[in-house]
Amino acid sequence: MAFWTLRGLLRGVVTTRYPAAGPRDQWATALPTPPRFVEGHVGPDVASRVVAVCPSRALWLDGDALVLDLGACTACGACRRAAPHAVRESGVSELAALRRADLVKRIPLRASAR
Amino acid sequence: MSGRSSDSTARPSGIGRVATPQPKAADAEIREVATSLAESVRSFRRSLHIRTVDTGSCAVCESEIRLLAAPHYDLHRLGFFFTPAPRHADLLLVTGPVARGMEVALRKTYDAMPDPKAVVAVGACPLGGVFAPDDWVHGNLDAVIPVDVFVPGCPPSPLALLHGLLLAVGRLGAKVTEDPFTATATPRPAADAPPPTKAVEVSQPAVAAEAASRSETT
Ligand code: SF4
Ligand code: SF4
Repeated sequence: MAFWTLRGLLRGVVTTRYPAAGPRDQWATALPTPPRFVEGHVGPDVASRVVAVCPSRALWLDGDALVLDLGACTACGACRRAAPHAVRESGVSELAALRRADLVKRIPLRASAR
Repeated sequence: MSGRSSDSTARPSGIGRVATPQPKAADAEIREVATSLAESVRSFRRSLHIRTVDTGSCAVCESEIRLLAAPHYDLHRLGFFFTPAPRHADLLLVTGPVARGMEVALRKTYDAMPDPKAVVAVGACPLGGVFAPDDWVHGNLDAVIPVDVFVPGCPPSPLALLHGLLLAVGRLGAKVTEDPFTATATPRPAADAPPPTKAVEVSQPAVAAEAASRSETT
């Protein structure tokens, strides 16, 4: 009992406030999250491959950038499996935003093809 | 299906009603949006009653909303409560693609809520990520009532919902606004990288290590 109370107090869980550092428990960090793209690894071919596999049409190409719409992404991981060296799990589960446009991210493409 | 392929400027697949983002967001505008919302909801920072409206969702979003009351998330400790009566509600959670059949009910609910009120769009459906507007759905909640907070995900995890609620009452800031969703490459040599054409699961230790590094940095 004392253990749980101390643990809670240390982590700020037993409180009427939200933990300042965000949720740290394993169930929270294990949630599926939208992808994060590794800089310098997203060339035109990787971009077109992840656009092709995305089942939610959350990715599309716009000029020299890959556009990720978090509002449409289902965090299914298909893009991560299609290009594991270029795409990672972002780990961001607190995704709410005040403006819709904030959820649309531009990922600049690397110039040379690979 | 006639409306499906009409207005596609950004997304070639036809759902694109989302403006392609400008490379640099206007910080002043973000602050302004946040401040005005915080002003309007100041009175219910510590006691907020929530009404949910399902406008044709697949019910998974509802299941996640219901999970908010579970001990893991425990939204009651934060002063949030669900209410069945719109007249008692301060905040409206809307799920689903805003089916035209639900439009009257949605508007009535919104009008019945006392001011100040906030609207949270829950999931990819009301954010315009799943359905294009057609004869059956609006496909986008913003087209019907003004939305204050957007919670993405299909379904959004209860954590995302909790963050959205706290964002709506001005107790937390938006965390994705500044996040470019890119990462700098790790020192891992390129020879280690699996062949790009083959589907490879990310190994569990790698995920755990990433999670650990994440919790240290946040
Ligand atoms: S995680 Fe799935 S839905 Fe999200 S961008 Fe990748 S492929 Fe698309
Ligand atoms: S956003 Fe996804 S989970 Fe939620 S109602 Fe729509 S399809 Fe279902």
